[in-house]
Amino acid sequence: MMTKYVGQRIKRNEDPRLLTGQALFVDDIQIPGMLHAGFLRSDYAHARIRRIDVTKARQRPGVIAVYTAADLGDFWKPGPLLVPAPHSIPGLIFNKRTQVPMAKDKVRHAGEALACVIAESRYIAEDAFADIEVDLEPLDPVTGLEAALAPGAPLLYEELGTNLASYVRQEKGNYAAARAQADVVLKRRIVVDRGAAAALENRGYVFWWDPKTQQMTIWATTQAPIALRNIMAGLLGLSESQVRVIAPFVGGGFGPKIMLAQPEEQVLGWATLRLGRPIKWIEDRQENFLTTTQERMQIHDVEIALTRDGKILGLQDIFIHDTGAYNSYALTVPLNTQTHTMGPYEIPNFHTEYKVVFTNRILVTPVRGAGRPQGVFVMERMLDVAARELGLDPTVIRAKNLIQPDQFPYRQGIIGQDFTELIYDSGNYPATLQMAKEMIGYDRFVREEQPRLRAEGKLVGIGVVCFTEGTAVGPYEGARVTVESSGKVNVATGVGTQGQGHFTSFAQIVADQVGVKPTDVTVTTGDTEKFHWGTGTFASRGATVAGNAINAAAAGVRAKILKLASKVLETPEQELEIVDGVVRVADIPEKSITLGQLAVIANPMRGSVEPGTEPGLESTQYFGPKYGATAAGTVAMIVEVDPDTMLVQIKRFVIAHDCGTVLNPLIVDGQIHGGVSMGIGQAFYEKLVWDENGQLLNANLGDYLLVRATDMPPIEIGHLCTPSPLNPMGTKGVGEAGAIPTPACFVQAVENALAGLGVEILETPLSPNRLYELVHG
Amino acid sequence: MKLDGEHVFHGPRQAVWALIRDPEALAKALPGTESLTKLSENEYEGTMNVRIGPIAGAFSGKVIVSDEIPPESCTLTAEGKGAQGFAKGVGRIQLSEQEDGTTLMRYEGDVQIGGKLASVGQRSLDTVSRSMIRQGLAVLDQMLAARLAAQAAGQADVAYAKPTETEFAAAVAKDVARDMLTRTRQSHEGRLLLLIVPLVIVLILFAVLLAQCQG
Repeated sequence: MMTKYVGQRIKRNEDPRLLTGQALFVDDIQIPGMLHAGFLRSDYAHARIRRIDVTKARQRPGVIAVYTAADLGDFWKPGPLLVPAPHSIPGLIFNKRTQVPMAKDKVRHAGEALACVIAESRYIAEDAFADIEVDLEPLDPVTGLEAALAPGAPLLYEELGTNLASYVRQEKGNYAAARAQADVVLKRRIVVDRGAAAALENRGYVFWWDPKTQQMTIWATTQAPIALRNIMAGLLGLSESQVRVIAPFVGGGFGPKIMLAQPEEQVLGWATLRLGRPIKWIEDRQENFLTTTQERMQIHDVEIALTRDGKILGLQDIFIHDTGAYNSYALTVPLNTQTHTMGPYEIPNFHTEYKVVFTNRILVTPVRGAGRPQGVFVMERMLDVAARELGLDPTVIRAKNLIQPDQFPYRQGIIGQDFTELIYDSGNYPATLQMAKEMIGYDRFVREEQPRLRAEGKLVGIGVVCFTEGTAVGPYEGARVTVESSGKVNVATGVGTQGQGHFTSFAQIVADQVGVKPTDVTVTTGDTEKFHWGTGTFASRGATVAGNAINAAAAGVRAKILKLASKVLETPEQELEIVDGVVRVADIPEKSITLGQLAVIANPMRGSVEPGTEPGLESTQYFGPKYGATAAGTVAMIVEVDPDTMLVQIKRFVIAHDCGTVLNPLIVDGQIHGGVSMGIGQAFYEKLVWDENGQLLNANLGDYLLVRATDMPPIEIGHLCTPSPLNPMGTKGVGEAGAIPTPACFVQAVENALAGLGVEILETPLSPNRLYELVHG
Repeated sequence: MKLDGEHVFHGPRQAVWALIRDPEALAKALPGTESLTKLSENEYEGTMNVRIGPIAGAFSGKVIVSDEIPPESCTLTAEGKGAQGFAKGVGRIQLSEQEDGTTLMRYEGDVQIGGKLASVGQRSLDTVSRSMIRQGLAVLDQMLAARLAAQAAGQADVAYAKPTETEFAAAVAKDVARDMLTRTRQSHEGRLLLLIVPLVIVLILFAVLLAQCQG
């Protein structure tokens, strides 16, 4: 089908509302009689709870209720496991320990809720914290990954007898045999540390049980409204039809907002049922650092086996992954690390195994990239180590090992986050490498510019990194498309939206199918009353999985339109066209009818219809891919390091990207920009620092450095298109693309800039301090 | 977090011991001290107002004195908590006579901080704590000098006015400014270490102060 709008750089439908402050966010919800919740949180990372006395707090004027774990009675239980563990992997160990509503008996991370105060205002609620007497017996905390597994380590779960949360081993081919044949075997230890997702909008909820309607309405900053509705209904003993979840505009998801039945949600749901009044809780920034899930900490021991000419024979990666105090999201992150370590390269033999450990820190769950940046970092660092050892150009060793375009579908032989074998559906990896090299002028830079700048005393370096991005996993999404009697079109889908431009890209899909303008298409996302089937926004899947469902529903409506118009206009369907909301006979444009008129005809108010007739111009369709589509790209950057301050300036940033069919290049660019900013943060700014007592020392935006606008380089983007065969539109995801390769590329470029100083960088995030230490010892 | 340090008092050990065993003297040395209560022979409770950068509030503390060998040494276990977090530490103080007639105070200890004190206050904690220690020791020095002078003059009592909160705040500001000029080269880890150390010293001073109630 010819597309008029899909593929166009169209400005976003939602932006006027967002930019003029007309968009609804959770904190905008005001309901008469609404109460406010505050959570008293543990200052200790690991402690036994001896006593919590809330008697005095309950007497404070303005306080409506104060609850501790003990008050929750039978409702208190470990929360749901949000993702199953992939038991299809033989020998898998998974010790399930899910997040609890409030700490009972034991505190397992600083910031864990001890009590909830519900009051007339948030001020009163927080003032009442001073009235609560808490007696905690501090325990030695577990903060290090290796320390967690050491004999005699303090235990988060005494009954387990270990801090081992999980163990997974996967093997493709035979690494030991490959190693025996190798000319060169190189071994390194690589460390990736933790950062925060740091969305602009923190978490927030309004829970309102209306005793008169017997309905619960929940406004939530969630990425998965339908799943949240189902889980909350189950936990609270309500029918799913009694619970409505609305995810209005959300100021950034980035992964942590996929978490469901979080402690605050459980307590608010339970409390509003008892109080019969709406309750609001908006997370403050300090709480966000201490209680919103985070990502990345892993320690890798890697070995790569190559021939002398740089062909990879095998890779072995044994790592420890920090899950924090609980593992409610199971193994998505370390599984992604496993499946992205091989990246776009042909690795015939791959041994990968990991241990997941419990530590006294906030949970680790996916944050934009979700395990992928670690895998890419490990692989790319090893390629750089190998290139140096073998005297090869870094781009040559990469080109030599890339999977070729004729090798798809390419089976990787290990299990991924969707519990099926990792298969790359399509791609042209050499083309992305070639494009990025040309865009940044690699050869000329290395041959001419770099030597000239070096001679001037400038520490300039270049990095080139290839990556894959597993995206668009199942199971499914759905959508309903309806043509109104006004001629305007409504679309409802179950995914939530947190800034991805869904209101525009989805509208473009529908506009092409139904023959209207994108501005005539109203998209509703994230309201379970509007559409109640679906899974959520995660794993860069919205545009592909929900997008294809919307495409199918819009095609269904198109079929209905043509069928009815054919009857009304007495013309065969194939002779009809839909243009700007009007169905007309292609050869006789004046013989026409508007979509609005057709919608009225399709919904007769009197008389009779043929049996089996569905009213209206409406269609509901679903889409689920066989497996996830794999996007890919190559990123290249040139940096300059200040020899005195060790500040790094990114002079140029180039990305050649292939996410299949591009629905809206403007939106894809925006996704890449956002991802890159998080990638730069993870490379050089954003590091969470804990002391040995499990205290987070930079839990504020003064000390935790986010990337500023002035730290962002101009980003040059090249779009390539290898359509995915896994869905009718040929799309792949792009949401995490910028975040995945950027740390690896940054480190490579910095290392290149410091060439000759004997610096090998095997960690991220860096900082000027850390670089100074690496250079000067 | 481990810490250690030393300070030279210009006076004989017995006089220094008597000074640091005098609760009133120590209460004057530490600004922000609100109350001191003796719970038992070796246990004290007190409240102190502290402002560290954006973190301000009352901390209630408990101190236990043990292993006391007058006039040489004692061990102090201090614990303070408030709405803004907690701090706790164990420290040992040792006084030794020196040939020139001065007394050397050595201290070593271990401390933990938590809550907002750690997660928001750490940036200023370093400087503010060191400033408090520096000022506290300066006050003790002056009190010691005043006492020794009074003794020499045959007077029984010594009047000493503690610095006002304004004077204290001004001195903190001065120290912060000085620190900003000298601290830029320290590594992040180094900074973290430095910020803990002074807090422990404060705690120990606080503990010493409380310990005097028994004397």
